[in-house]
Order: sequence, then structure tokens, then C-alpha cells
Amino acid sequence: MADKIKGKGVISGIAVGTILLAGQNLDGYLVNYKPGKLDAEKKKAADALVTVADSMKKSIDDFNEKGLKEQAAILEAHRMIIEDPALSGAIDEKLDECGSAPKAVLDAAEANAQIFEAMEDEVFRGRAVDIRDVGKRIAKYLLGIKEPEIVGKVIVAGKEIEPSVIAGLPTDKIAGVILGAGSTTAHAVIIAKTRAIPTVVGVGDGIDQMANGDPAILDGGTGEILIRPSDKERAGYDEKIKKQEELKAFYATLKTLPAKTLDGAEVELVANIGSPKDADAAIKDFGATGVGLFRSEFVFMGKTDIPQEEDQFKEYKAAVEKCATVTHGEGLCVIRTMDIGGDKPLPYIQVGEEENPFLGYRAIRISLKREDLFLPQLKAILRAGKFGKAAIMFPMVINVQEFLDAKAMVEKAKRELASEGKDYSDDVQVGIMVETPAAAVMAPILAKYVDFFSIGTNDLVQYTLAVDRGNAQISYLYNHFNPAVLRLIKRTIESANKEGKWAGMCGEMASDPNAAILLLAMGIKELSMSAPSIPRVKEKIRKITSSKAQEILDKVMEMEDGDKIRDYLAALVV
Amino acid sequence: MTEATTTIENKTGIHARPASLFVQTASKFKSKVQIKAKGKTVDAKSILMIMSMGLVKGTEVTLAADGPDEADAVKTLKELIDNKFGEE
Repeated sequence: MADKIKGKGVISGIAVGTILLAGQNLDGYLVNYKPGKLDAEKKKAADALVTVADSMKKSIDDFNEKGLKEQAAILEAHRMIIEDPALSGAIDEKLDECGSAPKAVLDAAEANAQIFEAMEDEVFRGRAVDIRDVGKRIAKYLLGIKEPEIVGKVIVAGKEIEPSVIAGLPTDKIAGVILGAGSTTAHAVIIAKTRAIPTVVGVGDGIDQMANGDPAILDGGTGEILIRPSDKERAGYDEKIKKQEELKAFYATLKTLPAKTLDGAEVELVANIGSPKDADAAIKDFGATGVGLFRSEFVFMGKTDIPQEEDQFKEYKAAVEKCATVTHGEGLCVIRTMDIGGDKPLPYIQVGEEENPFLGYRAIRISLKREDLFLPQLKAILRAGKFGKAAIMFPMVINVQEFLDAKAMVEKAKRELASEGKDYSDDVQVGIMVETPAAAVMAPILAKYVDFFSIGTNDLVQYTLAVDRGNAQISYLYNHFNPAVLRLIKRTIESANKEGKWAGMCGEMASDPNAAILLLAMGIKELSMSAPSIPRVKEKIRKITSSKAQEILDKVMEMEDGDKIRDYLAALVV
Repeated sequence: MTEATTTIENKTGIHARPASLFVQTASKFKSKVQIKAKGKTVDAKSILMIMSMGLVKGTEVTLAADGPDEADAVKTLKELIDNKFGEE
């Protein structure tokens, strides 16, 4: 019999694979570790360095053979750190102090990492992460924690999972994701969503029942997880897997059809993406008619240095060109300028410890202070605009002045490009994300200045309701149908339309088919979501009329309770 | 002991890729190779030590090698720096 664990299913689908634990805490292992004599520990540490470096050589060759150059380069840098005489020297010193090989390795790595972290140059600072990573890898080996080999498909599990863990694994290797934390909007989940990876969150300590390499089945619809299932239990899922395939086939037939209501009102269904590759899949596999949110920070992440204008230009150009290939719809590519802050720290953007990163120094607030980051990004987008239709979107705006300052930077970017003799597009739309209550309240004024609004519901809901989206204890309060939220959204959309601008939505809510009915009636022009959700939303829109949607909206706006609104919409047979 | 002095001219200085390249090259030689800059002397085969020196563009460095292939080592490493690590 399998161990059964129940969580909250957030991305539906059945996944079969082996468990790969991410973000392990080594403290428990370290306490239980019984060190031998000092000489023996020293030899053990030295041997571990050799063994781990050797095993990495194999992986490096492997990656190189498969053409995965970036992964190979990262590992190669790690291998050099392991073989470094400075590291082995530091380990010996630390061993004299503490006597435990794994602890000495971690301490030595930490000491070296801190040297790098203290450096002025941002690029050097970034290496600290690598050094810590290497220390952990060797310590794990010494503690007898096996680095799981990826054979076949894996289900990545962890109390918290760093976005880079999922981003770093080849897409076709990840069958599912299990997250201990309760958040449905954690960045790991957001990445999983773009790739339609079945995901269960909020399993809490359930993670402790899993070991690396355990076979497992996960149902992203019901939130059920089976660890070490019997053959019989596995067979029980065959029917569900078959249904899943059938649904996929039906959705495929919707791909080339427009998102039009029965009476002909059309909404653009576009994709949220993190890289040009995602745009490719979104358009080809799910029928997206453009990109409503290119999260440019993923272009910044995984890099040790500020990405240069030229590098960014290549990424944006690829996405813009991809969007220009759509046969139906606008083919617009909306690129959001970097939205980085305390929750997604980067080696070259030191935000520092903040009490409230979500209310802190982040996004447009950083961009406006850091011309060295902002200007190259704007120039890269303006240049990419030459290859199709691009739009620039600023995140976290709370007042008119921020928009005007950012817009002035766009003009400066244009002047610089002109004087450098580089080609750029002069009709790139410039708009904002409406994700703060301030922006939504000021929407009638902001609408006079911007070209468009895109409502970012993840933050708008959390700021409006004062509910931390990652806190499992209060996640029941997080509801995009809350009447306060609905009123802000309605106000934003109507303000845009009144000024002859357009409003879209790029938050979680846009992928909720029931929400689509309301938004349609409010006058939304574009819904941007993780691509795999497009067919579901399209199916809903194609089954309804504008007048029916208006009727439902009128009724909902009279209701006083968010949970009741959600239940009412869920029970509707349209 | 063979020595040679030169100045780092590539834009990004010796970090990340240039540092890896430098250490890989130094490690090919049997001789003991050191790099001296800013009043410090470190093992040229240690990426951690080299990177911890913070060798940015414009830093003057001295290469010193001691061993059977010392002349070759200094010559090769100096060329690497002077050629800006193959950067443009």
C-alpha cells in the first residue's frame, strides 16, 4: 500500500514519476553525523572532493553530448571550485576547529562565499551562490545523502522550491511538482503553470514522507499523492490518464478557433511567458494570439551579471518575431520591465534584507533609480519592436509621476538609439500593470496618459485584501471574486475604455473561465494566462452571449460575499 | 623563476569566464604559477583566490612561474591576458 498524502491541486493532470527532493535542509543530518578521528575526517573530506569532482565530470560530458552547453558550463565552474586548492585548505582549517568533515566543508564554503559577497563588483558577488551550492553538494555526499540521478520523469518535491530548480531541469523530465507551502502563486508554481505541469501545493510536512527516488503518482486535480503505489493502485489511474489524453485531443481542436462569444464579441487570449521558448509553445500548441506578459526578470535570472542590451534584444526579438507569426488576432508582445524585489533577489541587484519585500524596493522603483539597468532594457525592447508588435509595460506603478518618469526614460532610450544609429520602432505602446489599489483607484486619471492597462490580479488581490498569498493559514481569504477586488477591476477596465485605451488582465484570475464571463461583460479586450489554460477559457467564451454575460455580471455586482460569488459562478450552467 | 608584468585590458576583468579560462590554462603546466597584484600573491591555479583579488580592467599584474615549464607558462598566460581572453 502506498503512503497517501493530500494537498491542494492547483494545476490539473496526472503525473507519474520518481520523487526528486529540492531544497533539502541539512541541519538534521549534521546533528546525527558521528565524526571519526581528525585524520580520518581529513582524509574523508579530501576523498569526497575527488569523488564529487569525478562524478561531475561525467555529468559535464553528458550535458555536452546532449548540447546542453549552459548546464555544462555551470557544472564546469562548480567543478573548478571543488578542485580549488583554496577550498581544500579552508576545509582543513575548519576541520581543526570543528572535527566534522561535512560541517567543515559547509563552513569553508560559507567563509569563501562571504568573501565574494563582500566584494564591490556585482559579478563577483554573484559567485557566492555557486560556492555555497558546491559546499552543499560535497556535504551531502559526506552525509550519505545521494544526489538523485534523473532517470525517466521526476516529480519535484520540496517545502519550498526555488524557481531556478524547476527552470534548471529539462521540461520533458518534470512530470509533476509538489510544494509544501500553501501558495498557488509561488514562483515555482507559476513556472509549472506555463509548462502545464500537474502540481499539488500545501502538503506541509507530507514532504517528510518522501525520499529521493520514491515512485509516486500525483493528481493535480484532486490534490492526491500516492508515494510508492502498488501495481493495483497504479492501474487505478489508467482510466484518468486516458481521459486526460481525450481532453487534450478536444482542446487541440479549439486551437485555431477564435475566442468569440455566440454573438460575435471577441477577446484576445494570449500567453504569459518567461522566455521566447514559451511563446513558441503557447502559439503552436495552445493557440495563443500573442503574449500579454513577458516576465522579463526571467531573462535577468540565472545570470551572474546584468544582461546587456544586446543579449536582451535577442531574447525580446525572438518573442516579438514569434508573436508576429500568429494567423489570427493582434500578435502583440507585451514585455514587462523587470519586476524584481526582495522575493526574487539577484546577485547584481542587492535589495538587502527588508521587513516587507512586497511593500519594498522593487520593480519600477528600482528601475527608476537604476538607469544602468533600465535604459538597456528599454532600448532592447524598442529595437525588438522593429520585428513585429511590441509593447512596454511597467510594473507596480502607484501614481502618475512614476509613469511619466518611466515614459521619459523611454524617450531617452529612443534618443540614444537614434544617436547610435540603431534601428528601433517608434510606435511601441507604453502601458502599466494595474496591480496596486492606488493604480486601480487612480485608473480614470492614469488612463489619460497610458496606452493600455493590464490588471495584475495576483498582487492586486493581495494588496487590496491585505492577504499574503504565500501564507497557508489565511489563504482562504485570498479570492479574486472578493467584491472589493471586482469593483477595482471594473473601474480599471471602464476607465480605459472611456479614454479609448484598452484593458487586459495578466494575473491568475485571467485563467479562470468563470472570471472570464465577468471580465467580458466589464469590457476587457485581452486575457493573458499560462498557455495551457487558454483552451479552457476559450471553451467558456465560445458558449456564452454578451447579454447573458452582462446579466451574470449585474447579478454578481449585487452580491456581497466573495465566496458566494465563486460558488454562484461555479454552479452556473451556461 | 620566470616573471612577466602586464595590465589587464579586457572589459570585464578577470572574473567568471576569464577566470575559469585562466585557471584551466595555468593548471596545464607543471610549474608552480603565481599571480601578483595589489600587493598580494596568490596561486594562479586557484579560481577562488584569483577571483577574490578582484582583478578589474586596468589592474597591473605580475605572473611568476617556478618549475620545469616556467618560461612557457608565463608566456602562455601573458598572451591570454594580452589577447583579452579572446573577448572583442
